[in-house]
Amino acid sequence: MKNEKEQIDLLLRQNESEQLAGVNWNRLQTSISKRLSQADHSKTSTIKYRRVFKIAAGIAAIAAVVFIAVIIKTDTPPTVRFENGGKAIVTFIESKGSAKVEILDSNKQGNQGKDQSTWIIIRTSEPKVADNGQSRDENDFACLM
Amino acid sequence: MNGNPKTNTDGIERLVKASQTGDRASFDELVGLYQRRAIQVAVRMLGDADEAAEAVQNGFVKAYLSIDKLKEPKRFEAWFIRIIANTAISQRRAARGRAEKIKISGDCESKKVFTPEQKEAGKELKEEIQRVMLKLSKKQAQAIALIGIEELPRDEVAEIMGCSTESVKWYVFKARQKLKVLLKDYLE
Repeated sequence: MKNEKEQIDLLLRQNESEQLAGVNWNRLQTSISKRLSQADHSKTSTIKYRRVFKIAAGIAAIAAVVFIAVIIKTDTPPTVRFENGGKAIVTFIESKGSAKVEILDSNKQGNQGKDQSTWIIIRTSEPKVADNGQSRDENDFACLM
Repeated sequence: MNGNPKTNTDGIERLVKASQTGDRASFDELVGLYQRRAIQVAVRMLGDADEAAEAVQNGFVKAYLSIDKLKEPKRFEAWFIRIIANTAISQRRAARGRAEKIKISGDCESKKVFTPEQKEAGKELKEEIQRVMLKLSKKQAQAIALIGIEELPRDEVAEIMGCSTESVKWYVFKARQKLKVLLKDYLE
C-alpha cells in the first residue's frame, strides 16, 4: 500500500494527465496567437497615443512657460535708470495721463562729506485734484531719495 | 511543435533575443515550445484545463509584452514559468467565482479545448482537485504544483517562486498536510 504522500502526488498527476489528454494544442496555439495579435495592436496604439500625448504635453508646457514669462514681464514695475548710475522702480498708479519727472542734485555732496538727498519732483500735466485756489504745487509730488 | 525545450537551450536563447527585438515569429516559436509546460503548470495549480488554458493565454501575453525586460535570455524558462504561476494564482479567485456560479446554475458549459466526452471523464476528480487547490495558500499551491513536474529540479522551483529550497520544502510539506485531510475520501 502506498503512503499518503505518494497517493496525493498520484492523484494530482492523474488529474493532470486527464486534463492534458483532452487539450487541443493547435487550437490553443491559435488562441494564443490571436491574443498576441490583439496585444500587438493595443501595444502599437498605446505607443502612438503616448507619442501624441508627449507632443501635446510639450506644447502645453511651452505655452505655460511663455504665458508665465508674459505675466511676469507685465507685472514687473519698469525700472528708470539715471545718468549717474542710480535707478528707481516706477509704479504706475494710473495708466492714463502723463507726468514730467525732474531730478535735483543727484550727485551733490552735503555737509561733512555725506551724500545729499536727491529730490525727485513729479509734475502731472493736469492737477489731480480740482483747483481749490491754492498753489498748483500741492498737486505735484515730491519724493526724497 | 511541443518538444522538450530543455533540449535546445541555444536555440531558445536565440529565439528570446529575436523576440526582444520585436520578432513576432520567434515568439510564436517559443509559444509552440512552451505551451505544454505552461499548461502543465497551470493545470496543476488550477485543476482544470479550461481555466489553465485561460491562464496560459494571459501568461503568454504578459510574457510577450515584457520580454524586453528579461535581462538574461538563458533564464527564460524560469522567468516564463514564474509568469504563468503568478497568472494562475491571480486567476484562482476568478476560478473560485466561476465554480460557485456553475454550482448554483448546474450549468457545466463546455469550453473550446475539450469535447463533452472528454469533459465527463475524470470530472469528479477534477472538481475535487479544483476545490482542494483553492483551499491552499498561494505559495503552497505553487510549491505542490511545481514540485510535481518531473523535469523541474527543486532549485529551479525555488528560483521560480523567489524563495529558498528549504522554503519550497516547507510549503510542499504544509500543502500535503492539508491535502491529506481534504482528499481523505480518495486515499486508501
